[in-house]
Amino acid sequence: MILSSIHTPHSPRLYTPLHIGRGWGWVCLLFLFAIPSFAQEEEPFVQKTSTNMIGVGRSELLDTYLSPEKYHGTEIRYAFHSNKPLRWGKYLTQTMIHQGYFANTHNRADNNDELAGGYNFQYHVRYNWRPAQGLLVAAGGGPDLNIGYVYNTRNTNNPAQLKASLNLAPSAMVRYDLPTRHFTFRFGYEVMAPLIGVMFSPNYGQSYYEIFNEGNKDHNVIFTTIAKTPSLRQMLSVDIRHRRWSKTWIRLGYLGDYQQARVNHLKYHDYSHLFILGVTKGF
Amino acid sequence: MKNYALSITHSLQAKRAKLVSALRITHYILLLFLLASCVDVDEYPDTPNGNFEALWHIIDEHYCFFDYKAEAIGLNWDEVYQRYSKQFDSGMTEVQQFEVLTNMLSELRDGHVNLYSSFDVGRNWSWHENYPQNFADTLLRKYLGTDYKIATGMRYRILDDNIGYIYCGSFANELGEGNLDDIMAYLMPCNGLIIDIRDNGGGMITSAEQFAARFTNKEILVGYMQHKTGKGHSQFSAMEEQRLKPSKGIRWQKRVAILTNRSVFSAANEFVKYMRCCPNVIVVGDKTGGGAGLPFSSELPNGWGVRFSACPMYDRDKQSTEFGIEPDYNVAITDADALQSKDTIIEFARKKLAE
Repeated sequence: MILSSIHTPHSPRLYTPLHIGRGWGWVCLLFLFAIPSFAQEEEPFVQKTSTNMIGVGRSELLDTYLSPEKYHGTEIRYAFHSNKPLRWGKYLTQTMIHQGYFANTHNRADNNDELAGGYNFQYHVRYNWRPAQGLLVAAGGGPDLNIGYVYNTRNTNNPAQLKASLNLAPSAMVRYDLPTRHFTFRFGYEVMAPLIGVMFSPNYGQSYYEIFNEGNKDHNVIFTTIAKTPSLRQMLSVDIRHRRWSKTWIRLGYLGDYQQARVNHLKYHDYSHLFILGVTKGF
Repeated sequence: MKNYALSITHSLQAKRAKLVSALRITHYILLLFLLASCVDVDEYPDTPNGNFEALWHIIDEHYCFFDYKAEAIGLNWDEVYQRYSKQFDSGMTEVQQFEVLTNMLSELRDGHVNLYSSFDVGRNWSWHENYPQNFADTLLRKYLGTDYKIATGMRYRILDDNIGYIYCGSFANELGEGNLDDIMAYLMPCNGLIIDIRDNGGGMITSAEQFAARFTNKEILVGYMQHKTGKGHSQFSAMEEQRLKPSKGIRWQKRVAILTNRSVFSAANEFVKYMRCCPNVIVVGDKTGGGAGLPFSSELPNGWGVRFSACPMYDRDKQSTEFGIEPDYNVAITDADALQSKDTIIEFARKKLAE
């Protein structure tokens, strides 16, 4: 006998009539399964969603190749998250994240600026669980690509730093839906941390002239682990949906992006604390 | 029913186990991150003593000529710390701080070491201020006249003995390849060429390379360059070759005389280094001012900028040119010639090229 009890937010619980005689039991089973299969397709374990977000907040930059001073200022960021089930695994989802940011920071004396900008792409494959009603947990990982720059507006032969890295990063997500009479609140927390990868860096006192004009390479492509690049990205959010909004949610939240590196006797960190506002669409 | 209740219990236990696993994974991610610790620096306070400590450590950890200058001029940076640290106290004014910090940086005797504030630029220019200038704008105007040509920042003409003359006063801007072709084409009928770079304080190394590339027909070794690999005074990378590739434009094939004085510095000093490796080139005038360290920038807690030599460059014999390059012919402008509106160095070069 098949006991089907797939719990999703939308599908009904099914019971098998075990006490009915075998012959009638099979007919009843067919009857019970046939009508629902014609009337309704099976809902995916996790819905497909896409989220567009804008973030504004504070940024702190340190890059000892450019300056021993920390720079503080404002950052704006755009992020796009898409999450959808994978065809080849019922409980598997793929998450793609595109982020672009720009920060304008100032030194302690407020007489010099460092400008930073960059693009981040992440691709995660996660395994999903629904351990309780309304609760979704996912864990997995994938590649994390970063390309960017930091530009010091006053420096001479070391005016800028190229940021380029590719990492493998584990990630996790927890999400809890809390329906009320008029609204549904979806509380979410996502976190990822690069574990191993490669990154670009000049050597301690190496000029970009030597690297790119003269072609003199010296430990410029570095294999990294979390010990050399202890970084973390996390997002705490609440999505709000009115009962009349169908599959659209408004997102409010906090995005924390803490990128760090200590390579070639150089130190780098970029701490971003952003308030985010976004729209999530379900499909 | 009993079996059904048991299966429900087992299912809940399995789900609880999976939730615990997921939370454990999240916990381990955060724990790994915390254990790896923050990447941070201790900033010096914005006080007279704090700015002094910051400046001394910036130079101590990044300056590239300590070993060379310990040998050449007896420089001991730790001794400099002991001598200057006593001169700072919390009651100093900004101007006083600037003066003492500049005095400390002057111990390096390096034209690439500067302190920048909103009211002054700290410097040590003894490498040219302590010597005769051997160059005068009034004399230059006698030779250039008023109908000289101007292209890509250079002034040029043909002198009356059919010697070409180019005055290149700076390498601050990128040179135009088409402009250089036009200059070479115009001066092509000349018997020789004078390139006067006196008072050229430098600029872009790539511009110096661009110009020097007009004077070789094949790729040649012209020097070496290295950089620091750590905070220690002697932590350097291997010396990498500097090679000059011939220009794809018009190249000069006849004799050349480079005119130099003590104010020839930095990229202009590099130009002399490259040209000495090219055929048919002589250097006439005074020793150059040097400046063989590619400078980097940094800053103090109070926002003052600091510049310092970071990447040392050497000639093709792996000798430092930090304190200058000796000419082939050491010639100075005499008072007698100057009174007659003659530039002794130009006249010497013309005679040599006519030989």
